[in-house]
Amino acid sequence: MASRLLWASRAASYLRISAFHRGFSSVVKDLKYADTHEWVKVDGTSATIGITDHAQDHLGDVVYVELPDVGIAVEQGKNFGAVESVKATSDINSPVSGEVVEVNTELSSSPGLVNASPYDKGWIIKVQMKDAGELNSLMDSEKYVKFC
Amino acid sequence: MASLVLLLFEALHPEDADLAAGMPASCAHVLQGETAVRGSKREVMRSSRRSSPEIRKDGGVMEEEEKLPEMRESGKTYGIWRRACATSTRRHSPATSGKTTDNVMPLQRMKLQRNLEVWKMGVVNYLEALKLQERLAADRKVGKIPDTVLSLQHPPTYTLGKRQTYHNLLVSKDDLKTMGAELHCTERGGDITFHGPQQAILYPIISLRDIGFGARNYVEGLESTMIDLASLYGVRAHPGKAGETGVWVGNRKIGAIGVRISSGITSHGLAFNIDPDLKYFEHIVPCGILDKGVTH
Repeated sequence: MASRLLWASRAASYLRISAFHRGFSSVVKDLKYADTHEWVKVDGTSATIGITDHAQDHLGDVVYVELPDVGIAVEQGKNFGAVESVKATSDINSPVSGEVVEVNTELSSSPGLVNASPYDKGWIIKVQMKDAGELNSLMDSEKYVKFC
Repeated sequence: MASLVLLLFEALHPEDADLAAGMPASCAHVLQGETAVRGSKREVMRSSRRSSPEIRKDGGVMEEEEKLPEMRESGKTYGIWRRACATSTRRHSPATSGKTTDNVMPLQRMKLQRNLEVWKMGVVNYLEALKLQERLAADRKVGKIPDTVLSLQHPPTYTLGKRQTYHNLLVSKDDLKTMGAELHCTERGGDITFHGPQQAILYPIISLRDIGFGARNYVEGLESTMIDLASLYGVRAHPGKAGETGVWVGNRKIGAIGVRISSGITSHGLAFNIDPDLKYFEHIVPCGILDKGVTH
């Protein structure tokens, strides 16, 4: 059944007709999710942020990622950068507030990592969190699956 | 989505007299019965003002207060609202021209309805249009205005996308001044392109979150709108191969897209070549694609 769905959606995109939405975007447990489709992985007070599989699927092939500078402050819910795909730039919002300590420079040369590995190699920034309490307003993996 | 496509398609209609000779009346029939989707109390606020004067069909410049009701009543735009209303009893009364229109839907009416406001402007300077879009996008984000589409043209202008691909501009900035063209950097996706008179530009300011669309679906929708419009005139256009967004006739591009999505609200949009001066395209590598040309 799954392979038939896969074949159908591949055929649909080859023929460039709209297909039903493939409801099986992957979600990783132990991450927190924002309703704007970003994930955050917490490690003490350090947080790694990226966009979810659902988001990258809806975006299309990413050709450019605009990264913030290291040291910039980010705020929960506010945008910190953008991704460009199919001639559309989409803002990415930060799920937590804090200071950017590292950005994924790999994305400058291989923006496709966001599509290929959204939860792993396609991470976007690492943030030193200001307020761990903000995580409570985010969704866990089960809620996010229902949300999508 | 179909209704959005059709409404966009309608917005390309030549009420702008200088754009095209006239859409065949047959296109009106495609709008019938289209009511898709949304349910809620909606209020159309008329407080936003356009920043540049609209040129009336008889050549006179319209006053501010005249614009809105005339938009409502002008031909096909009025036609859309009527048809969208067909299956629900009261939306707005077409007779209230000149008055502020309140599209307040009683809560018990659970019919799903979408509003789309179409602003038909003439030739608008790029920066002014950009400022207007930013203001409208902010308003749309907080729900002050419904989905809006700006339909306009620009004076000769080159624009760059977020990646700032200056290397695709083949002439110097001084040459641009001699040509009488401007150059602007924007936050939209896409590479370098040219806008000029006789090129139809649509800037939909809509909420993608409300309709559950992602960037890819939206861009594909814009592409199909242009393809449908081209087919009405007997032009066989098709979307590009993977990675080549836009609408093509054979090997040459007739429609370009460059969009910005911020908090789910779109700005910028599409440009469709009706009859622009193609010589301007020779000074750039359009959209950064080296071996393909442009057409109208």
